[in-house]
Amino acid sequence: MRESASPVRTYVVVWGWLAGLMLLGVLLAELPMPKRTIVLIVLALSSAKALLVALYYMHLKVDRRLLGLIAIAPLGLIALAIGVIFSSHLVKF
Amino acid sequence: MMHAHVLHAPHATLTGVPNGKLGMWVFLASEVMFFTGLIGAYVVLRLSNPAWPGPDGHLSVMLGTINTLILICSSATIVLALAAAQRDALPAVRGWLGLTMALGAAFLGVKGMEYAAKLTHDIVPSTNIFWSAYYTLTGFHALHVLGGILFNLWVWSASWRAPSWRRQGHRLELAGLYWHFVDIVWIFLFPLLYLF
Repeated sequence: MRESASPVRTYVVVWGWLAGLMLLGVLLAELPMPKRTIVLIVLALSSAKALLVALYYMHLKVDRRLLGLIAIAPLGLIALAIGVIFSSHLVKF
Repeated sequence: MMHAHVLHAPHATLTGVPNGKLGMWVFLASEVMFFTGLIGAYVVLRLSNPAWPGPDGHLSVMLGTINTLILICSSATIVLALAAAQRDALPAVRGWLGLTMALGAAFLGVKGMEYAAKLTHDIVPSTNIFWSAYYTLTGFHALHVLGGILFNLWVWSASWRAPSWRRQGHRLELAGLYWHFVDIVWIFLFPLLYLF
């Protein structure tokens, strides 16, 4: 998303995206689709919303790179945790 | 690179980031790990129980959706408070920050209604593993929302006196970072608890 000259306008546009993506997730969850597909799509939408908040509302897009690194650091540990969770799940079945 | 979001850069630091802001980001990184532990435990339990959440009731998607919208709106209002602070428009700062606190209180009110509805039907943390996880995750999140409201209240109270604001106005940015983090946590909790 391009950052407009007016930050207020950007904040309002981001709010529109956040609300729209959230409602899209709720609607998708009601559709007759395989559960696994819905889970993947809705969690992808949640990740997109989190990214929008971090980049535009928490200003990581324009702030010092050091803060971005601090924000990204726990994601490696989260990936590790998710890897352990799903590897256990695969072993079980 | 322009760092327009520093309200009152107090001192030059080695990192180029004000110490308070750096500290807040490190704190938030530790909070990510806290909630990752809880959500990770929830996912493991969820995968181990195909019949989830069981016959003891369900959550209202409508209330969850309303609460999510409330938090998304509150994230927008607090960032608008920050934009107003950068224009030195203190009355607007007070207005947006007051609205943020009101939305946070509304979120807690809806959550309280949900809790009351469940508790009157004797659905308590020990009912089954789903409700145990539900009360733990949402309870810790609600405590964070309450903490955010108190932080905002502290900043809001400083905005009424110009000398206090000159000393403490930069804390609005820290309060905003914390509030957005609380919003991000809920962005993931909502689908995990209400939609799947």
